[in-house]
Amino acid sequence: MKEKIGVYVCHCGGNISDYVDVEKVRDVVEKEEGVVLSKTTMFACADSAQKEIINDIKENDLNAIVVASCSPKLHLSTFRNVAERAGLNPYHYVQANIREQCSWAHTDKPKEATEKAIRIVRASVRRVRYSEALKPFTIPAANIALIIGAGVAGMRSAISLADMGTHVYLIEKSHFVGGRVAQMGELFSTNEKGEEVISKLYDEIKKRDKIKLFTGAELGSVSGSVGDYKAQIKIHPRYIVPDCDMDKLKEAISECKTEMPDEYNFGLTQKKAIYKAYENCKPEMPAIEKDAFNPDQKFLEKYKDCIDLEQKTETLNINTGTVILSTGFDPYEPEDGEYGYKKAENVITLQQLKRLIELSNGKLEYNNREIKNIVYVYCVGSRQKEGENKYCSRYCCTAAIHAALLCRKKFDSVKGFHLYRDMRTYGKYELLFDEVSRQGDIFFRFNEDESPVVETANGKLQVKFRDILTNNEEIAIEPDLVVLVTGMVPRKDSGTVAGILKTPVGTDKFFNEVHPKLRPVETVIDGMYICGTCQGPKNITESITSSLSAAAKSNSLINKGEIELEPTIIRIDPEACEWCDKCAEICPFDSITKTEYSPDGQKGKTIAFVNESTCKGCGMCAPVCPTDAIDIIGYTNNEIESMIDGLIKEV
Amino acid sequence: MLKINPDFAVKLKKYGAVDINACYNCGNCTAICPLSEEDHSFPRRMLRASVLGLDTRIEASLDPWLCYYCGECSETCPREANPGELMMTLRRWLTAKYDWTGLSGLLYSSIPALIIGFVLVAIAIIGIGFAKHFNIEAIMDFGHHFELIAIISVFSLILVPNIIRMFWFTILKEKTKVPLISYIKGTWDFLLHMFTQKNSLKCENNIFRWLEHLVIVFGYLLLLFTTVFLNWFSTENTFIIWLGYIAGGMIFVFTFDFILSRIRKSKEINKFSHPSDWLFVIWLFLMAFTAFLVRVFIDTDLLSNNLWLYMVHLIVIAQWALLIVPFGKWTHFLYRSFAMYFKKLEEDSK
Repeated sequence: MKEKIGVYVCHCGGNISDYVDVEKVRDVVEKEEGVVLSKTTMFACADSAQKEIINDIKENDLNAIVVASCSPKLHLSTFRNVAERAGLNPYHYVQANIREQCSWAHTDKPKEATEKAIRIVRASVRRVRYSEALKPFTIPAANIALIIGAGVAGMRSAISLADMGTHVYLIEKSHFVGGRVAQMGELFSTNEKGEEVISKLYDEIKKRDKIKLFTGAELGSVSGSVGDYKAQIKIHPRYIVPDCDMDKLKEAISECKTEMPDEYNFGLTQKKAIYKAYENCKPEMPAIEKDAFNPDQKFLEKYKDCIDLEQKTETLNINTGTVILSTGFDPYEPEDGEYGYKKAENVITLQQLKRLIELSNGKLEYNNREIKNIVYVYCVGSRQKEGENKYCSRYCCTAAIHAALLCRKKFDSVKGFHLYRDMRTYGKYELLFDEVSRQGDIFFRFNEDESPVVETANGKLQVKFRDILTNNEEIAIEPDLVVLVTGMVPRKDSGTVAGILKTPVGTDKFFNEVHPKLRPVETVIDGMYICGTCQGPKNITESITSSLSAAAKSNSLINKGEIELEPTIIRIDPEACEWCDKCAEICPFDSITKTEYSPDGQKGKTIAFVNESTCKGCGMCAPVCPTDAIDIIGYTNNEIESMIDGLIKEV
Repeated sequence: MLKINPDFAVKLKKYGAVDINACYNCGNCTAICPLSEEDHSFPRRMLRASVLGLDTRIEASLDPWLCYYCGECSETCPREANPGELMMTLRRWLTAKYDWTGLSGLLYSSIPALIIGFVLVAIAIIGIGFAKHFNIEAIMDFGHHFELIAIISVFSLILVPNIIRMFWFTILKEKTKVPLISYIKGTWDFLLHMFTQKNSLKCENNIFRWLEHLVIVFGYLLLLFTTVFLNWFSTENTFIIWLGYIAGGMIFVFTFDFILSRIRKSKEINKFSHPSDWLFVIWLFLMAFTAFLVRVFIDTDLLSNNLWLYMVHLIVIAQWALLIVPFGKWTHFLYRSFAMYFKKLEEDSK
């Protein structure tokens, strides 16, 4: 019990004292048990006031203080520092909030506000009497980050982390890095190609010893907690002999007869079973699709120096301090018949068009037909009224318009007809919208209740729709190609990753951050971060911004080799605990396990054990405990009960 | 079911409008237009129809003639798509559309054709002068008769059929059922708007321009009357002589101001000038100015030694009467007035 308490009631200029009679508050609180000093102050947070408090503590040998002022969100750490500077344990400080919770809320009732302020301060004084000296505890942390997904976000994050001194394991499920950006061809705003961006990032990664890149690598399992995660990674083989003769391998590729749809070109072309994602892909070493690969014995014999189908999946166990998720997105795959997709001829997605532009020279051709007129249907798979994807995919408006500009630039006189719901070429991309309309592309606006109909009529591709901009009249266009401007959905297997890591996902299946504005790259699990499009639709700039942010957060957490944690967690009373597992069941952070307790070397009993590095002190476990064996440090039963007494006592 | 035709906007560029594709249909132009009404909402709808190439819809519309080009829409346009100039362009295109000879479209859309036309008329006049042995009296006599004959034939052969075509496109083809009595009642609107252009007063700060326009119209009609019917160049009557001087002076002073405005481009409506705009004001100026000079030369007994002056005047008159009046901007005077008349018929049919 603290018996030498100092209380400071702040005017906050007039923010508090205009409505609360601070002198009266002081007079009443002065009489509380244990209070030896009480003062009012114009601004408690001012330098001079802080010095005064320090002097008071030293001169009067105070052992606890209360400042009645603003929200602890604002100045809790300020006054904890004051206490510390005066030689007092910072946890012997309690802040009473009489501004946000009192004067600002009751400007019309000064008398009642004063009474409420008295009760709040009194409760704080009573609480501080029971305060304990606490020390933040530290846990060791490996200065290592595991990044899942080597697209632009993951790669950029790895480079940034390495430059800050953190070791990085960068794993990529595919045999080639680059993710979706590698497929995008020419990009908007910079006009360089996606694969060029990837090559640049890859070269930077190769320059850094701190980054260990694994392709064909899949996350197996993860255990442990912040600072000390243990991850198991499965590395699938390429079935190519390392350091083999590249010329001979090329020969093998040209002789390989097995072909399959090339997912890099979204099925527009075929690829060999021994393949490179694209000519300048990284790493440059080809890989084999073993399940489809069906060579004869002669072939295998001939190329045994290059091809080794006996290679096995390896398992790698690593330790890491943090995990960064950058698993990216998949383009939305329209359902069969959605805007004629896979039903009418010459209906493709925006992603396919981008590949088609890259693959075509001189003239744009699809299905042996020269393309002169393209109808773009926007918001396919985004902002769905019926479906699950309620969100806007952000990048598609700009990407579609950029593709239309590319078509006009690269091929002579390809006209675009854009059927949109709302045009969202936000920020500087508005200029692209302006440019393409000035060049003669025409924009039509449809209502989400009356979606355009794409069908083949009399052997001709036809799009029918009502145009809001033309008095909602029905218009028919007969284009050569219909391009569905498809949005983003999370990667198909991101659910598996979420299952392994237990990171929460939203109803839209994208990974969720703690707070969209204030903590945009952190997850509820300490030491796990998300960045890029696995979190939600983003363009490349936005993906990179978030990836750098995740790198900075990750590094600042683990770069000292240890992590300092708040001591305000839960405490188990081993005598009272009877291990019923109710607390473990309700804990949202899986922080409670069981342990053996044997204080005197005798056969002990099973009791609850708290993992200090994951417990957040949320207090969910305390009320469910049938034997009242759980206390929350800083909010013990004594403290809470004394506060209630202080609040309900008449003034 | 509408079919669109993006090539229409490309074709329209020859008639003036160059920026319409920049439009993103915000509708600010229609919102600011003091003349736009619920049943005749413009310019956005006309602009949209132009971008989509809905030419039959434009052909059936009276809206382009209801605009008096104050330029506020173009000033307000956030995309600088110049809707005011589009309305002007559509008036040119409609003039060509109504013209059964097809010459109007040729002269509007091709500068070489325009030059050839003007040169041919000049050669014809010089040829007639040659046939008359460059005898001043014979030529002046021809000139006097030419004016009358030109007026009658241009009206009966070109303008009247074209107005009937306009009536067909805007009223008959649209199957508008007009009560017979309306044809008579509507004539008041027709005459009122023809001579006063009173709707243009609804445009903001337009009083001076309206006044200038009114002076030119009356000056023009007065000059036409004095020269053709009162035989200004041959009369001895002092009153008629002064009447002619006043009419000519009125025209060339105010057209001179119009030309200067187009050169200075200070006002929105003057920022873009199609060749047909230049021709109209310059030829109106030249016509009045040369007529004025001819009479001055007559009064100072100098004309007999300065036949060339009359020849120049006659060439200008002939080009004006044979090209600009039937095929050029002069027709706006008629089409605008008839548009008001047809609009009245349309309203009565409801």
